[in-house]
Amino acid sequence: MDHILIVDDDPEICSLVSRFFEKNGFRVSAVSDGNGLWTAMKGEPVDLVVLDLMLPDEDGLVLCRNLRANSNIPVIILSARGEDLDRIIGLEMGADDYLAKPFHPRELLARVRSVLRRTRNMPLPSQVAGGEEDVVYHFSGWTLDVPTRQLYSPQKEKIFLSGSEFTLLRIFLESPNQVLSREQLLEQIGSRESDTYERTVDMQVSRLRRRLREDPKTPALIKTVRSLGYVLSARVAKGGDHG
Amino acid sequence: MTEKAATIVVCVDADLAEIVPAYLANRRQDGVRLAELLARQEFNAMRVLGHRMKGSGMGYGFKVISELGARLEKAAQAGSRSESAACIADLDDYLTRLEVSYTQETNLTNG
Repeated sequence: MDHILIVDDDPEICSLVSRFFEKNGFRVSAVSDGNGLWTAMKGEPVDLVVLDLMLPDEDGLVLCRNLRANSNIPVIILSARGEDLDRIIGLEMGADDYLAKPFHPRELLARVRSVLRRTRNMPLPSQVAGGEEDVVYHFSGWTLDVPTRQLYSPQKEKIFLSGSEFTLLRIFLESPNQVLSREQLLEQIGSRESDTYERTVDMQVSRLRRRLREDPKTPALIKTVRSLGYVLSARVAKGGDHG
Repeated sequence: MTEKAATIVVCVDADLAEIVPAYLANRRQDGVRLAELLARQEFNAMRVLGHRMKGSGMGYGFKVISELGARLEKAAQAGSRSESAACIADLDDYLTRLEVSYTQETNLTNG
């Protein structure tokens, strides 16, 4: 049973989400602030965090960034701050999705399921064809270890990736030196829900480039191909370990 | 002779049947509290209550509560006594006329 952690200082939102998700087969814990979030994270494993932004002790965006820096747990922001800019900043800070209040719990449920599917269970074309779940990719000094979902820099440092960043990188690594359109990327990521996601691809690429320490003005690994999409420019080898 | 105002029937997801009565009771308490806050011109506390109503109403199946909350939040932010009073009156009227019907069918546009 998936364990959802809701972080919101409105007890009626916590009660609503808890009840609705429990009725739909999830286990839910609720905390009211950032302090509660970190305490909960030390306890039982959490599969996904639903995070409000306006919290009493700490800005939810800062929490999101810190959460992303320390774990791969998917995050959905649930906030009354629903302007485009708020959504963009939220996604830039590492959230996997963003839903504005007021909201319908069924929409939140659909998004939670979608994010969990995307970040954990989404079959890549290669997985469907060959079931390569134990593959390790090597490219330009970098290593992506699929079984552990861990990225290593050329200096052998561990780099944390969100679920969606991991998925996106793997899609690129399966098709190196081929231009992938935004539509293709969306299709493979498994999202075709709204126009927002067109921009989400750009944001996720931007985040992935930062993980790969790319110069945003002249990225060497993931290049933008004007009007067409993106291409991973690297030789990719598949090997047994990341040593 | 005054006519009784028409009932407003709202269909709410049956999954929420156990928590909706308490939610509506809290909104009735909000109405009383808001009237007290307005009398003391405590607009910031009113804004917070409006903000919370806006955030939670639709989730519980009451789009009108979210809309009233948004109106109240704006009115309180602007320090408008008349508009705040109108929102409180509209909330009271809505809660008085409201009748909840629980259903397995999801209605995403109900009031």
